[in-house]
Amino acid sequence: MRMTLADRLTAIVFAALGLSMAVGGYRMDRLEIRQIHPGSIPGLVPMILGVLLVICAAMLWREAARAGPDTGEPVLSDGSWLRLGLTAGTCLIYALVLVGFLPFVWSTGLFVFTFAAIFSWPGSGDVVALVKALAGAAILAVATAIGTALLFAEVFLVRLP
Amino acid sequence: MSALGDLGAALIALLTPTMIFHAAWSTLLGIIIGSLPGLTATMGVALMTTLTYSLDSTTAILVLLCMYVGAIYGGSRSAILLNIPGTPASAATSLDGYPLAQRGRAGYAMGLATAGSMMGTLAGIALLVMIAPPLAEAALNFGSFEFFWLAVFGIVISGQLTADTTPIKGYIAGILGLMAAMVGSEGIHAHVRFSMGFSDLNAGIGLIPAMVGAFGFAEVLNAMWGRAGVLATVKDKSDRILPELRDLWRYKVTALRSGIIGTLVGIVPGVGEDIGAWASYVAARRSSKEAHLYGKGSYEGLLAAETGNSAVVPGSLIPAITLAVPGSASSAVLIAALFIHGIRPGPLIMIEQPQFISSVAAMLILATVFMGFYGLTLTRAFVQVLRVPYSYLMPVVFVLCVIGTYALSQRVFDIWIMVGFGLAGFVLRQMKYPMAPLVLGIILGDLLDKSLRRGLTLSDGDLTPFFTRPVSAAFAILIAVSILANLSFVRRWLASMIARWGPRDA
Repeated sequence: MRMTLADRLTAIVFAALGLSMAVGGYRMDRLEIRQIHPGSIPGLVPMILGVLLVICAAMLWREAARAGPDTGEPVLSDGSWLRLGLTAGTCLIYALVLVGFLPFVWSTGLFVFTFAAIFSWPGSGDVVALVKALAGAAILAVATAIGTALLFAEVFLVRLP
Repeated sequence: MSALGDLGAALIALLTPTMIFHAAWSTLLGIIIGSLPGLTATMGVALMTTLTYSLDSTTAILVLLCMYVGAIYGGSRSAILLNIPGTPASAATSLDGYPLAQRGRAGYAMGLATAGSMMGTLAGIALLVMIAPPLAEAALNFGSFEFFWLAVFGIVISGQLTADTTPIKGYIAGILGLMAAMVGSEGIHAHVRFSMGFSDLNAGIGLIPAMVGAFGFAEVLNAMWGRAGVLATVKDKSDRILPELRDLWRYKVTALRSGIIGTLVGIVPGVGEDIGAWASYVAARRSSKEAHLYGKGSYEGLLAAETGNSAVVPGSLIPAITLAVPGSASSAVLIAALFIHGIRPGPLIMIEQPQFISSVAAMLILATVFMGFYGLTLTRAFVQVLRVPYSYLMPVVFVLCVIGTYALSQRVFDIWIMVGFGLAGFVLRQMKYPMAPLVLGIILGDLLDKSLRRGLTLSDGDLTPFFTRPVSAAFAILIAVSILANLSFVRRWLASMIARWGPRDA
């Protein structure tokens, strides 16, 4: 995808967001029952911000439209989707599922081991390299899990999730 | 007592074994974090904030400042050795640092970068001590009208100067940050806005979870997306490391100018170290007798870039301490950290804690001393740090993002906020939206909101005071001119006017 197309798509998203913020601000309780000054209604700044975002989105659209659909640098093209997917997947599973579901030490150990093992997995099929990679990942996982748990629970007195 | 006397007293008070120990490890950790591409100074300071909850306020601020100074300096290591800036602040350093390393002068380049960083930080500290107290006193006269414009000015200037392509993306990032700040209980009537039924949102979106997400998790995704698994390694061709006094003396004017430019860039809200480095670099090249060497391994260019980016650190603290308006993304985190540790930055700081500015200056001096010590003695050891593979580094960073975010309020909800900001930050960064205005928006949203509504209440709904009070009027004109000058149709109109009415050739 080219930047100009991406800009036009995001302009639509931002315009919708701005519009909903402006409407949300307009419909917000004006606290008349508390007889506040009309200039201090809670929805005032959200309304202004919503309108400003719509204006900026329109200007972004205009600039992108003027440049043409197939111009601008490519977006999200200079990296590896596989690596990104694996990173995002492991991180999200850890942060949104494992933390709180398993004790912190176990969830952290599992995450670090999986992450390190995936990204240090030798592509050559060499068994010695594979054992080394898995051992390295395991040592890192144990050290990180126990180290962070001890640091936060014992030193900072945090009740771990 | 004079400013110098205050500074001396603050420095003596800091020179206890405990404080020296904390300064030593945190500066070293900062340099390590800064030298690793993918780990930025802001991320380091944000993560470190989560590790300072249990420290007393003086120690916590010392640790965070040392981390900040160390990380900005540390970025020069990988910029020189690998041609990959460790932090965005060191992008200009790589232009001349890497060619020097290719010529076998990596050690000398690092020594020169160390000297430049030290001079930049010290120049910034001198200006911090001179400018901050009168600025805080002047800001005591600011009312709601002035603070409203100050917040707008911060967003506009930051959006304009940090955007890669069009300033509109900078403005959008700033507005998104302000919108995030609108969530939760507002500051005048305690009315809860946009909580969408989630009681966890009643208190608003925390700055630390947002920052850790936008700079921590987003960096993890960015690093794993854009690079091969293992960092490139370069043999350290260390030669002489200690810079020659002759070279430093030859470039004294460049160093002084870069220090002043860096500090002034730091004072401008939300404009970070990278702009400070580029502005110093360009100014040095313009006035240099050896401009043809720039980009090919110029000592002067390297010195200008490093002096410039390091001077931004104390510079960015000037508005952060006196106005509670951050001069850079990292200082935005520092403001949040100050609040966490019971210090209220803002104009009242000179009344509530008159020694605070001197203490900060003394802490920065301590950080500079350690930076110089490590820079000149651990050059070879830092090369080993660059060999740590991402597959081992990034999961540890993400674990710290998660547990650090959680630790502040002990709410799992903050982890979700961190993850949301991380994903959004990654996509926005890929689409060339700058992160600094977003952060600035989150931190200035409350000030802007309260100042506008309080101002309107004071003036009984009349907008005139926003434009007629002297400081307000100056801000309003400055903001209008800077926005209009960046709009393409205004520029075209101005060009056509100049063409029509300007001097014509015979």
